[in-house]
Amino acid sequence: MSLSDRLDLEPRPLIRAALTTLVVCGAVALGSRWGRWLDPALLGYLLATLFACFGVAYRYFTWIERPATRMYFQHTVGTLLSPKAFKALPRMAVLALDQMFLQRFIEKRSLRRWGAHALIAWGCMLGFAVTIPLVFGWIRFTSEGLNSARYQAWLFGFPAGSFPLDSFMAFCSFHVLDLAAFMVIAGCVLSLIRRKQDEGDTATQRFDLDLLPLVLLIAVSMTGLMLTASEKWLQGRNFATLSFLHELTVILMLLGLPFGKLFHVIQRPAQLGVTLYKAEGEAEGRLACKGCGTPFIRANQRRDLGALWKELDLDGAQHGGGVHHLDLCPRCKRRLVAKAQGERLQGAFDPFATIPVHAEPILDSTSMKS
Amino acid sequence: MVPQDYGFFIDPQRCIGCRSCVGACAECGTHRGRSMIHLDEMDRFNSTQTVPTVCMHCEDPICAQVCPSDAIKRSEDGVVHAAQKPRCIGCQNCELSCPFGIPIVFSGLEQMLKCDLCYDRTSVGHKPMCATVCPSQALLFVRKDEVANLRKNKPLRDFLIGAVHVKTKNALMVPDPETPLHLDAALLIDGGY
Repeated sequence: MSLSDRLDLEPRPLIRAALTTLVVCGAVALGSRWGRWLDPALLGYLLATLFACFGVAYRYFTWIERPATRMYFQHTVGTLLSPKAFKALPRMAVLALDQMFLQRFIEKRSLRRWGAHALIAWGCMLGFAVTIPLVFGWIRFTSEGLNSARYQAWLFGFPAGSFPLDSFMAFCSFHVLDLAAFMVIAGCVLSLIRRKQDEGDTATQRFDLDLLPLVLLIAVSMTGLMLTASEKWLQGRNFATLSFLHELTVILMLLGLPFGKLFHVIQRPAQLGVTLYKAEGEAEGRLACKGCGTPFIRANQRRDLGALWKELDLDGAQHGGGVHHLDLCPRCKRRLVAKAQGERLQGAFDPFATIPVHAEPILDSTSMKS
Repeated sequence: MVPQDYGFFIDPQRCIGCRSCVGACAECGTHRGRSMIHLDEMDRFNSTQTVPTVCMHCEDPICAQVCPSDAIKRSEDGVVHAAQKPRCIGCQNCELSCPFGIPIVFSGLEQMLKCDLCYDRTSVGHKPMCATVCPSQALLFVRKDEVANLRKNKPLRDFLIGAVHVKTKNALMVPDPETPLHLDAALLIDGGY
């Protein structure tokens, strides 16, 4: 029995994930000039990032093999590889700004939820934008020769400018991760408060899926801030211990990335493809319900759902007269259940049967007759 | 966890169309402010009959099978939950595929919401909002062994859509539950509604 069988891994996603990790390794090797510019202090982070990359890629490739996901994935890839891409790409860029960066759909769900989520998301984006190039050896900072009062930035091993240690640029470079940490902590605390107060969330949340990622993000950010505090105000006291703790929390978070809630970061861009798909369907037109005649389903989605139901062995959902269950609008499906129940009752239920029939009209106090 | 000795029993024939369930449903904590119960008029011109519909909580939910983002989950107690907020991408596959016409996708929010059996209440020992307020008990949430004393009809949890067999957690009241209820569109199209 092979290792992939024992671990119950799917071979195709496994191969694709391995290839993706190899490509990332290649990018690291190339960007760090064959490892010359890698920072030895960050090797632990690099290994954890590569593992996370493999895990995320494996889960992603497994996910897009689900029949329903494949339906949208293939459509989006097909659009991007066709001449329609010239029209679709600018639209996708605008959608990405609105849905991925500004996340305005969350604002419509709840302003409070959006505030917390935006702080976490922007804090993480900022953090990863700085740390990934550092860990991959794409960016490096050194003293400028023997001049310890100036810092030299290196991009892919090439000099990319220098700045004095007491400049605004240096302040920003040294403290950008502190800003990210403050944003993440604020967002996580707001989320935890909301989760504590919201009855719906309290009932449905799970510690491992919903709370642990927030706790881990706070731990990563807090230990990161403690490094700054140690360096700034405590003359580097306990720096090595804090550094180890920070590395540990980051590695734990990265290892959990493919398995937990944070994976939605990878899934969410599918929303862009779905928005394009819907727009294409609207242009094609909607088909009428075969029960009531109201237009309700986009023609492209009816076609694709038909194929999907077939793949899921649900194709037998055919009614008499060549009507498929997908041809009925949600309202007609609901009415159909009541209608079928009524047919089944066939008079077995008569709500008035047990009420005695009065020969004389019943007079009550509100009646005008006496 | 919803107590397994309790069941939800639906009898559209008893509905008086008072809309109490619609108002109460919007108080549910998991979708506060939005009512997830459907109250449809069968044929407004000719009949006063109304149909309240809540999620039937299928054993193998088609909504979850067609969900591209794997956002719809069924918990161990058999409750099919609304799409997970971080995952739902608002594609409407669930809305269009549900055999009973239950989920609603709110465009703009990119979020599917549906009846989740008032999980914030039922998981801590309360009855769902709609069943609590229904005056005619068209929506009834009682112990499963109690329902035989309250109703002449019996709970049915098997539905046939063409050749597709759908089994549910919630039950519809019929005289003969041994035979699955055949949902055939011909009833709507030829039945005159």
